[in-house]
Amino acid sequence: MFGFKSAASRSSFLLKNNSTKNLLLKANSNSLRHFTIPFLPTLPQNPGGVKGSVNDNLPKTKIDKFHASYHWNFEKVLAVGLIPLVSMSLMNGGSISTFIDLGLSYTLLMHCYVGFQSCITDYIPKRVYGTWHNKAMYALTFGTLLSIIGIYDMNFNQKNSGSVGLTTKLWGAKSEKSEEKA
Amino acid sequence: MFMLKNPILSSIKTQRTSSRLFTTNKRLLQSPAKGQEILVKQRAVRPISPHLTIYEPQITWYLSSVHRVSGVILGALFFGVSIGYGINKLYDFGLNDDSLVEFYKNKVPTWLDYTAKGSVAYLFAFHFANGIRHLVWDMGKGFSLKGIYVGGYSVLGVCAVAGTYLFSKGF
Repeated sequence: MFGFKSAASRSSFLLKNNSTKNLLLKANSNSLRHFTIPFLPTLPQNPGGVKGSVNDNLPKTKIDKFHASYHWNFEKVLAVGLIPLVSMSLMNGGSISTFIDLGLSYTLLMHCYVGFQSCITDYIPKRVYGTWHNKAMYALTFGTLLSIIGIYDMNFNQKNSGSVGLTTKLWGAKSEKSEEKA
Repeated sequence: MFMLKNPILSSIKTQRTSSRLFTTNKRLLQSPAKGQEILVKQRAVRPISPHLTIYEPQITWYLSSVHRVSGVILGALFFGVSIGYGINKLYDFGLNDDSLVEFYKNKVPTWLDYTAKGSVAYLFAFHFANGIRHLVWDMGKGFSLKGIYVGGYSVLGVCAVAGTYLFSKGF
């Protein structure tokens, strides 16, 4: 009895109190993110970031084979695989075979794809940005498809010499110029 | 028997004629919908946990964010160049290694050249070294506070040496 009465009086106090009312009118200051992407529209959030009543069941999580440990293992395989590929091309001073360059480029592409995916999950969450989360994911996938074509062209076009070759050329581009001048 | 011997309870019994020991105030009883409304209003004024800015900058968590930021910068560069080559393959606008190098030689100002090569060299060295550190953690090693500090400072050392070496190669 005592507990119930005090809770009820507290809540009516909340609603009568003027400053509290103003806080409520300003709406949900405690469900806003500290940092949002300025040019993306955000969805309205529930007060306190909580949805539903106290009696709601916890929604069942969807089972996805490409999440959790498989996804994690895949990330690790890519990261471990990059170590020899990158060190090999660094130690050879940029002169590596097309085969290794292809392996390095496509592994690096997958590594970037997975990394950018987790960044989108963290910074453009569906709960806050709604459809823009999916748009970002589609944009990433579309860009990756273009990259696949690009990496193929970098390695098999007669005029190009692979991503490692291009990096080496660009790294030395300015020093050649200064040598020519001198 | 016990209840009758209790002086407080027996006094209540003598004072009140009601057959129930406890009664509820009907005025204060509310419907579930009204209760939900009050709950939602209270949720709006609950305090929120503070963000990263309240924490003191420490090597334990700063390097983690630098790792992600460096990965995003390098990844964006890689995506940019390879997407450029991909679009060139579809709509030929004359992009190849020679034209790109020619452009870099003649159009890119010196300050941008230094900034680009410096950031790529140091961020790449950092991301490579810290990536190995993360893989060591994934094996379950080096998770003590001391191990994390030793690893963090070693990564910074490797980054300084290897980054400077790579940077110097560009000139």
